[in-house]
Amino acid sequence: MQAPKKIFSGLMLLPLFLSVACVVFTVMMAGYVLWFYQGGYQEETAGDVYDRYYIMITQEGKSAFWQSVYSGACERALEENVYVDWLGSDQMQGYSVEEQMEIAIASGVDGIIVTAGENETLRELIDRAAESGIPVVTLYGDSTQSARCSFVGVGSYNLGREYGRQALKIMRERLTGVTDRPIKVTLLVNSYANSLDQNIIYSGIQEAIEQERGDAAIEVSLQSVDDTNAFSVEESVRDIFLGENVPDILICLNELNTTCAYQAVVDYNKVGSVSILGQYTSDTILNAIDRNVIYATVNIDTPQMGGFCIDALQEYHELGYTSQYFTADISLITKENVDAYLHREEPESDE
Amino acid sequence: MNKIRNLSLQVKISSIYIFTNLLVVMVNIFLIIGINSMSGRLDTVYQGNRHLNNFSDAVDALQSSMTDYLNVKTSDSLENYYRSEALCRNMVADLNEKVTGRTFDRMERNIRHMSEYYLKEVASAVEAKRGRNVEKYRFHYENATKMYDYIGTYISNLNMEQFRSNSERYSELQQRFRLFEAVSVVAIVLVMCSNVCMIISFVGAVIRPMKKLAGQADEVAKGNFDIALLPVESQDEVGVVTGAFNSMVVSIGRYIERIRESMEAERALKERELLMEGHLKDARLKYLQAQINPHFLFNTLNAGAQLAMMEGADRTYEYIQKVAQFYRYNMKKSEETVTVAEEVEMVDSYIYILNVRFAGDIHYEKHIDESLLSVEMPGMILQPIVENCVNHGIREMGDRGVILLSLYEKEGVVCISVRDNGVGMSEETIEKILSGTYREADMASGGNGVGMDNVISRMKLFTGNEQVMDVKSEGRGKGTEVCLYLQK
Repeated sequence: MQAPKKIFSGLMLLPLFLSVACVVFTVMMAGYVLWFYQGGYQEETAGDVYDRYYIMITQEGKSAFWQSVYSGACERALEENVYVDWLGSDQMQGYSVEEQMEIAIASGVDGIIVTAGENETLRELIDRAAESGIPVVTLYGDSTQSARCSFVGVGSYNLGREYGRQALKIMRERLTGVTDRPIKVTLLVNSYANSLDQNIIYSGIQEAIEQERGDAAIEVSLQSVDDTNAFSVEESVRDIFLGENVPDILICLNELNTTCAYQAVVDYNKVGSVSILGQYTSDTILNAIDRNVIYATVNIDTPQMGGFCIDALQEYHELGYTSQYFTADISLITKENVDAYLHREEPESDE
Repeated sequence: MNKIRNLSLQVKISSIYIFTNLLVVMVNIFLIIGINSMSGRLDTVYQGNRHLNNFSDAVDALQSSMTDYLNVKTSDSLENYYRSEALCRNMVADLNEKVTGRTFDRMERNIRHMSEYYLKEVASAVEAKRGRNVEKYRFHYENATKMYDYIGTYISNLNMEQFRSNSERYSELQQRFRLFEAVSVVAIVLVMCSNVCMIISFVGAVIRPMKKLAGQADEVAKGNFDIALLPVESQDEVGVVTGAFNSMVVSIGRYIERIRESMEAERALKERELLMEGHLKDARLKYLQAQINPHFLFNTLNAGAQLAMMEGADRTYEYIQKVAQFYRYNMKKSEETVTVAEEVEMVDSYIYILNVRFAGDIHYEKHIDESLLSVEMPGMILQPIVENCVNHGIREMGDRGVILLSLYEKEGVVCISVRDNGVGMSEETIEKILSGTYREADMASGGNGVGMDNVISRMKLFTGNEQVMDVKSEGRGKGTEVCLYLQK
């Protein structure tokens, strides 16, 4: 009876095997469908819920400077389980600082970081925010008369003195041949914001030059740049080079001004005759230093600045008060040490 | 396994069809579920946008109803305002309030807070209007309008963001839908293939024993009953038929065997009869040839005997009488069964005649068991044997020749032994005589025509045994013994 059994099992094995395969396949299908159904297909996840919600408002749009400040703030905020939105950059483009302030106040956020200035409307808005229980930190530009809880910026006077020293250094290195006329040092100031800070920087420059000029003739002047509307800065900077009174040394106080000045110097063939002292360390600026178009730039520790803003707001929420001033570190980048920054920036620019 | 094997054919076939159909149905159900869930998802993709649009409409309606009321201050417009305010408030309550990592959620949260602020401003404006506080309602109206503007921008930004992301999601879903479609097609094809395979193999498994059965039946139809029995694999209908076929083949084979055996027996019987008849005919023919002389001789001898009696020559009379008796026996008894006694008497007569003829040369002795004299045997058996003894054994010995006739019983067999002390026989001759191939060269000269082969054949036919005669000789000059074996 062995042979029939064998034949039988052989005949029955194939269908059995097939049915098992079918069942396995069906189960797999079912798994796939269920996986899909249960949301294995990833929808955008809501992620964590944050304890607090701050809003950052800046005058300029997406400059690398503010981007860096914002990412510093974000990094610090995430550590504290706080979310920071940069209102002007993505959600509400095209609104003025004041309007953004209004929006932020109406949105009932937990804190506002704003690049202020000594300007009445903004002061009122800051006061209104404080009344509504929203602490405001002024960033980079202060509104001293307002009810802001803290100011995060750079030491403007020291910054000014550094610019002054650098101007004298340029004079000694590059402008020794100019004896028939006073050397013209021009500080680009924004017509809209930060007038007080700009004034402090200006006086810092003047003081440094006065102290160390010796008998050299130096004329320090302010040149206002129109930053009230988009693209006006670039036009204003170019106007300087079109006029008769082209400065020997041009001091810029933000990234945009620095970049525009650099481009203008190149375009109007003033490389060598006009030295630029800039601010911030974008790739363009660093490359310009490397090519000797910009003499030096002041690098503000922007992530630190962003982090300070969050620290100030968190401290205020927890203690009800906070330090009035936070000063971010600054460093000077010249031809001598630009290589280090260029190399450091490279991996980031790849991202 | 056994249980499955023993199910009836109907159940087996039905279950395989049901099973394959179930598989197809199952796969289809999964596909339908999948398609449903996907189309459901596709439906919800733009739901967020729809909600936002509805909310935007509600805010628009509130703004216009407020403006309307502030403009004309009718009770209709106030009613409108209340209605749209309630609707808007409900919708605001549905908006997200949490701060999450998702931009949409935070935007929605901001919109919610701004809308709450806006509702408050609107309510204040309407309240001030009712209290006829012109300055206040204008202030609140301006505030509300500004908020309305911000909210509008916020909503459209959010809408745009959502739309962008939803479009991505939609295309991703569509890709998945395509993938699902491909998977479904593969699944259906696979299931179909496996079903076909299953049905083919199953039907094959069911049909195979039937085919074998048909092949075997064909063989049987051709007359070949010598086939291997089919194994009964299952207890279904095919199994039952196979079993029945097997037993049918076995019984037909047995029946045919029995018929063949009986036919064989009948044939053997007939053959024996025919053979016996043939031999008798052969013997009779030879005697007919010889009877021409005996009849004449017999009559002549009778006349001679009477003459001798009338002349008083008693010995002559006796001699002639014996010769006549010898011939008479030859004539009458050669064709029928006789007793041993008659045969012995015949031998006696023959020896007497020979002794008269050859002046008493032959010494004749008998050792007879009287009780065996009535045993039957064919006629004309002993005389040819004795004649051979005389002719070939002792003829040349003169008066030294001895013939010994013994009748005895040994182990239930009646033995008739005829022995002489003559020249004897070689083994080769004995072999030839017993196998019936020995031909006497001088048969015609001395004998009466009945050869040893005839004797052996008739003995065999009569007894039905093969072992009917034995010839023994110890060699040249040592004599010969012929033994006949008869059944009692």
